[in-house]
Amino acid sequence: MYKTRHAWFFLTVPLILLSVFTFIPAIAAFILSFTNYNVFQPIEFIGIQNYIDVLSDHSFRNALSNTVYFWILVTPALIIFPIFLAILVNQKLKGISVFRLIYYFPVLVSIVVTAILWRWMFAESGIFNYVLSLVGIDPIRWLTSTKTVMPAMAIVTVWQGLGYYMLFFLAALQGVPKELYEAADIDGANFVKKHVYITIPLIKPMIFFVAVISTMSAFKEFTLMLTMTSGGPLNASTTVVLLVFKEAFERVNMGYASAISFVLFVVILIITIINKKFLDTDYK
Amino acid sequence: MKKTILLLLMALFAMFVVACGSDDVETGTEDNDSVDTEQDTDQDETTELSGDIEFMTIDLMPTFEEYLNGVIADFNEVHPNVNVTIRDVPLGQVEQVVLTSAAGDQLPDVMNLNTDFLKRAGALGAFVNMDEKASHVKDHYFEGLWNAGEVNGSVYALPWYTTTSSMLYNPELLEAAGFDGPPSTYEEGWEMSKAIYEETGAYGNLIDSNIHLHFPRNGIDLLNAEGTAATFNVPEAVELWEEYKELYDEGLFPADVMLNQQPISELYAQEKVAWWITGAQLFGQINDLAPEVYNKSLAAEPIVGTAGVTVADTMNIAVSSKSDNVDAAVEFAIFLTNDQNQLAFAHEATILPSTIEAANDEFFSVDVEEAEVSQAGRYYAAQSLENAVNMSPAVENTTEIYEVIRQAFQRVILEDVEPSDALADAEEQVNALLQ
Repeated sequence: MYKTRHAWFFLTVPLILLSVFTFIPAIAAFILSFTNYNVFQPIEFIGIQNYIDVLSDHSFRNALSNTVYFWILVTPALIIFPIFLAILVNQKLKGISVFRLIYYFPVLVSIVVTAILWRWMFAESGIFNYVLSLVGIDPIRWLTSTKTVMPAMAIVTVWQGLGYYMLFFLAALQGVPKELYEAADIDGANFVKKHVYITIPLIKPMIFFVAVISTMSAFKEFTLMLTMTSGGPLNASTTVVLLVFKEAFERVNMGYASAISFVLFVVILIITIINKKFLDTDYK
Repeated sequence: MKKTILLLLMALFAMFVVACGSDDVETGTEDNDSVDTEQDTDQDETTELSGDIEFMTIDLMPTFEEYLNGVIADFNEVHPNVNVTIRDVPLGQVEQVVLTSAAGDQLPDVMNLNTDFLKRAGALGAFVNMDEKASHVKDHYFEGLWNAGEVNGSVYALPWYTTTSSMLYNPELLEAAGFDGPPSTYEEGWEMSKAIYEETGAYGNLIDSNIHLHFPRNGIDLLNAEGTAATFNVPEAVELWEEYKELYDEGLFPADVMLNQQPISELYAQEKVAWWITGAQLFGQINDLAPEVYNKSLAAEPIVGTAGVTVADTMNIAVSSKSDNVDAAVEFAIFLTNDQNQLAFAHEATILPSTIEAANDEFFSVDVEEAEVSQAGRYYAAQSLENAVNMSPAVENTTEIYEVIRQAFQRVILEDVEPSDALADAEEQVNALLQ
């Protein structure tokens, strides 16, 4: 009984914090999504008008399309590359922990600092175009072309997230029984076959987990776009959350911004369910 | 246990609803009117002002803490029962701070705001109408600057410090291209830009994200006088954008500056641009980034367009319409922006006053040959005050209007859309916004 009471106490404190800072604001935002709330004037309930407007809004469709494109670029890369990296740093080599630290280092850099540094490197007269010019390649308009801006953002996101997701896979790899690899060696399996038939199936729950959290973070990304391009050029890097920010804090349409947030919530929920259907299968 | 958790959640939600659902939100502007009326009555009964006032400044602390505390101390000599406290917020967070404060019914009484956000929130009834509350001091300010706070026919702020442009230029880059002085017109500037680009690889004239300002600078009105329709889709605008497209294709200005991805200050500090037309208060950025470039730079008159006018960028002082002490807050706003205090502020910072008498003070007459470059820059900026106009239309959705024009121009530059088509499309979108 004594232990149970303590357990409840420790569960209640985070619950209160989550309620105050997440659940209640989320409920309030859901209610506001049915209003024309603009902070300064009296609130009027307008039914589902905001949702109708969202679905017919070209800006929203463009932002959603940009976000999905960003997700497609980022999430597979944040699964495949960290798995490779985790397999590499899972080897028993002298000084391997230094490599792990180096790969993890970008995670420690603030997102705003990252954005500013990469903006400099991607500039028309930046270091990337300088290096390309040395080998006779024309400069690329990394952040000033509607075609290259999202891939450029994806490069930055993958660079920063690589070490973070590598740690998850490293933890999963260390739970894979060594005997399976030894048996595969006896059967004459090569490096690729061992990982395709042993590693990947055994770390599938972690792949699902990483797919879900990297999907959520791709759909929520906005600091990078705000700092590097402000959503441009021609809204080509405006994500849904950046659109929410602009609607709420630049155009003071809090009700409308709330409605966009909930449409995004539904989109993420659907994608997570699809992810679960395809990836969250127990190893048998 | 489920019941306990549910009850706990319900209790927390109820607390949230009670905290947020203040009667001010529900009663809105009607309450504001009643507050004003009551305070007017109070003011009639006694001339002594009292109460607490929160004054929101933008990025002025701690650099100007002494100056601001001095202003408050002087104000308290006249109004000892008014307690003024300062709340300084970073430039990039002004809108968020104001909106979240307003949502919590904690809007500062007196606020330093930029013009675009002032118009947005002013149109929603957030601020006191200064045409009514401060009409007796209207003549103290430059007319063009007083009108900076106008939206839908009313002025919602007093103009505080202002900046007009001057030019900072790099004489070595000009000399390398065979010039002994900076340009005085845009036409001359583009001619020089070609030579400088060929000789040194540096830029001259640049086009930044404020492309909408190029219309009024060249005598093209953005909107009609009533603010009900776009008026920029004219042959002169088409010709201007066609010329800019040719200049871009020649490589004479970079897209990342146009898209606001590359600060001009950084390019100037790297000697990749020969001149920078900006407020003299920003010259110091070059000193921070590259002192050796700053030390060899000189100041000059700003380039003007065919209309011969320069842009006035004014900081505004607004008073919350929900303030408990509206009269004291308005009195403090007037005191803060009076001749004496603005002149004293100009001694502390490289800014220009918005009041006529302060701007005519001999302090702004310096020997430009001898003066330090930012002081010389301010001299040139002060000279342009007479030709300075507020180029922001007196409508609430200026931000969206600028964005439409900006994107139309970007389509011309980046996607080879015909200027006439882009302008026609932008005109249609702006007219839709004004409905």
